[in-house]
Amino acid sequence: MNPMLGKEFRQRMREKRGWILPSLYLLALSGVVTAAYYFTAATAQRYEWREIQGSQIGQVIFVATTYVQLTLLLLLAPVFSAGAITIEKEQRTLPGLLTSLLTTWQIWWGKFVSSLLFLILLLVSSLPILSMSFAFGGIAPRQIFVALGASLLVFAVICAIGLYCSSFFRRSIHSTAVTYAILVALTVITVVGFAIVQSQMDNRPGPPSHSAMRCLYLNPYFLVSMAFVRPQEWYPDWYLSIAAFVVMGFLASFFALRNLSRTGEQA
Amino acid sequence: MIEIEKLGKIYDGKPALSNFSLTIAEGELFGLVGPNGAGKSTLIKILATLLRPTAGKASIAGHDVTHDPRAIRALAGYMPDVPGVYSDLQAHEFLEFFAEAFHLHGKRKSDAVEQALAFAGLSDRRSTYVEHLSMGLKQRLVLAKTLLHRPKVLLLDEPATGLDPLARIELRRQLKDLNQQGVTILLSSHILADLEDICTRVAFILGGQNATDSEGRSVVVLSSAMSDSLLCEIEVLGDAQSAAAIATQFAGARVLETKAALLHVEIKGGPERASALLSHLVAARTKIVRFDPRGPDLEERYRAVFGRRSS
Repeated sequence: MNPMLGKEFRQRMREKRGWILPSLYLLALSGVVTAAYYFTAATAQRYEWREIQGSQIGQVIFVATTYVQLTLLLLLAPVFSAGAITIEKEQRTLPGLLTSLLTTWQIWWGKFVSSLLFLILLLVSSLPILSMSFAFGGIAPRQIFVALGASLLVFAVICAIGLYCSSFFRRSIHSTAVTYAILVALTVITVVGFAIVQSQMDNRPGPPSHSAMRCLYLNPYFLVSMAFVRPQEWYPDWYLSIAAFVVMGFLASFFALRNLSRTGEQA
Repeated sequence: MIEIEKLGKIYDGKPALSNFSLTIAEGELFGLVGPNGAGKSTLIKILATLLRPTAGKASIAGHDVTHDPRAIRALAGYMPDVPGVYSDLQAHEFLEFFAEAFHLHGKRKSDAVEQALAFAGLSDRRSTYVEHLSMGLKQRLVLAKTLLHRPKVLLLDEPATGLDPLARIELRRQLKDLNQQGVTILLSSHILADLEDICTRVAFILGGQNATDSEGRSVVVLSSAMSDSLLCEIEVLGDAQSAAAIATQFAGARVLETKAALLHVEIKGGPERASALLSHLVAARTKIVRFDPRGPDLEERYRAVFGRRSS
């Protein structure tokens, strides 16, 4: 096993956040499920729907939980990844790693997997909550797997970006700030771009234009929304979105590895 | 063992190392001396494969530091000036991690870790978290970590920084022991007394270049090793100039400095020749108040090399 992995797991699980974060995270998701249930029931009551379908509640819970989960984990991803290499620079342990027989790939991979695995731990721990939507119906197991898979891809790419920033900067605070800035660009600026392009189109009825949709390819919420549409609708926009994320992840990883191999200058 | 030839390194357009050359033989305990910013750390980092030189070449045991860094890492141990530790690991976990990082597994790993713990004096504190260790113990732990893979060469950048006197004495003892076991050691230090105590030779470095003393030597052999010259401080009654003239006539004696009633004379040949010089001066009716033969003092040499540049 890569020695970096063992060390990273040991260190991460010794941190207080190793158990505080999952607890808070599950608490927040439980709150979302409860709120989604009561909100749907109250809405049905307000509009005097004759009878509310369980499947409607199930769908609302699923959509709300998926997006809230994505939001929470997007906020946490830079915390785990953006300081992973800078902490080695700050505590001056990086020279020890770079002058050992560990390869830069092993160092990067250890950092990447340990950052991602904590997010996966949170993701998996939320599965029982996400599965509650089954109890109400209206959700296919495929949708849960697609939501998890898309979320996993997003987190892997964000971790890769965080590690790139961490390999570039000397201080964790700078690296984390820039990773969050990139996150804002991906989540907010892409939507603004979409709105601008769409507003310039004719106000024709129907789905948004492909030109506008292109702005959303790098948006994590757009990618995860593939769980809410039929697979026949994935082509071409969601496939291109997956490709865009994969390319972004590879580029971030490539440049992080390159920085790491040159980082003796900063060590 | 270590060959450095016209080595250069440019940082942000400024030369940190320029045309620096040095040869260190196998089994030497070699010191590197120079003021802050002289290029000592840059040189050691290049040898440790952390930095790539921009000119020249360096090799350890025939392996080029630029082209064969993994071979260098396998045979050299590097300890930086401020060694980092993982505070949230226990002492044995810290060593186990680095043992694995040097491809030691199974019994080889456990043996290496036990030896390292014993070397650091931490056998009975193996489960203590590193953050609870004193500065001296942390330094010993890092040195022990550096020795895990039994390196043939040790590259130590200011290893005594931040250590109290007792820890420094212990470090000197450990380095001497390692050197006697055949480990070639290159260390930089500001603490000249430490270098003088343990090093066989020292090299002067200034502005990234080889610096030379008044005799044009960039590498000097220390009295602790095999120097055959002594520096005598002689205090006379009356004028030191006439005493200096008498001393100059003595074979192998060289007057370095005359100041009021004090003169410094370098004499080749060891204590016997110093005794003969004393007899020579007394026979010439020089009234001597004090005669203090010492070896060539590194501090004196340091002042001779770097003092004149700073003044």
